[in-house]
Amino acid sequence: MSSYVKAAAGAVVLMLLAAGAIFLYAPTDALQGPVQRIFYLHVSSAVAAFGCFAVVLIGGVIYLRNESVTADRFARAGALVGVLFTTVTLVMGMLWAKPVWGSFWAWDARLTSTLVLWIIYAGYLLVRRLAEPGRQAARLAAVVGIFGFIDVPVVYYSVTWWRTQHPGPVIVSNALPPEMLSTFLFTMACTVALAAVMIVIRYRIETLLDTKQTSTEPAKVLASREPSGLAGRAR
Amino acid sequence: MIYLVIAYAFAVALLGGYLYFSLRQLRELTPRRER
Repeated sequence: MSSYVKAAAGAVVLMLLAAGAIFLYAPTDALQGPVQRIFYLHVSSAVAAFGCFAVVLIGGVIYLRNESVTADRFARAGALVGVLFTTVTLVMGMLWAKPVWGSFWAWDARLTSTLVLWIIYAGYLLVRRLAEPGRQAARLAAVVGIFGFIDVPVVYYSVTWWRTQHPGPVIVSNALPPEMLSTFLFTMACTVALAAVMIVIRYRIETLLDTKQTSTEPAKVLASREPSGLAGRAR
Repeated sequence: MIYLVIAYAFAVALLGGYLYFSLRQLRELTPRRER
């Protein structure tokens, strides 16, 4: 069994423990009933997505500074896993909204800014997929990743900056009873661990894909990726 | 209750499915001698 499979198995065990805490330990909400249990993974996925997009931001900055292929691969991995967790956040939020608000969607600041976040990073992935692999695509994607991160604090502060249907912050305002708070913090730690494992696995896949591409098209890839390589000598 | 079940079923399918397929892709890409 490879170390990646072991890490994935560890993350799955952590998520099963989190599920146990959500469904067996956390008390049922007096107002909303069992559907409130969506909260634990809904918010944890959003936190994990923010972490993934921070990886894209850091990777993009490092790539623009010194054209580190490692940083670019981490950025690619972070964007994919971040979009995945944003999808979980959006869909779980919609399924929570229906019984509580009476509709799946409201065009309020929190929901709209989260949808915009998903579109920005889905666009990032589209740039990586459609553009010819090389320096230009990596630089363009790094810029998208850096400017896209501006939406993360907008999403976070949207509930305090604007009047929204989405509830305000409950964690920082101590609005949760201790059992709910401990369940949330544990679920969040497990979800972030899962996201980290997914990024590491994706990083390895990106490395192997790059190696495969280099071995099939060595001259073309070297010319586009290495500023001091073949392209540099040709100039 | 049905929304709670659908929400967690979706999350498990998406995250679990992604993890499974990424491990499978990793296995396919890894050279045999490194496995």
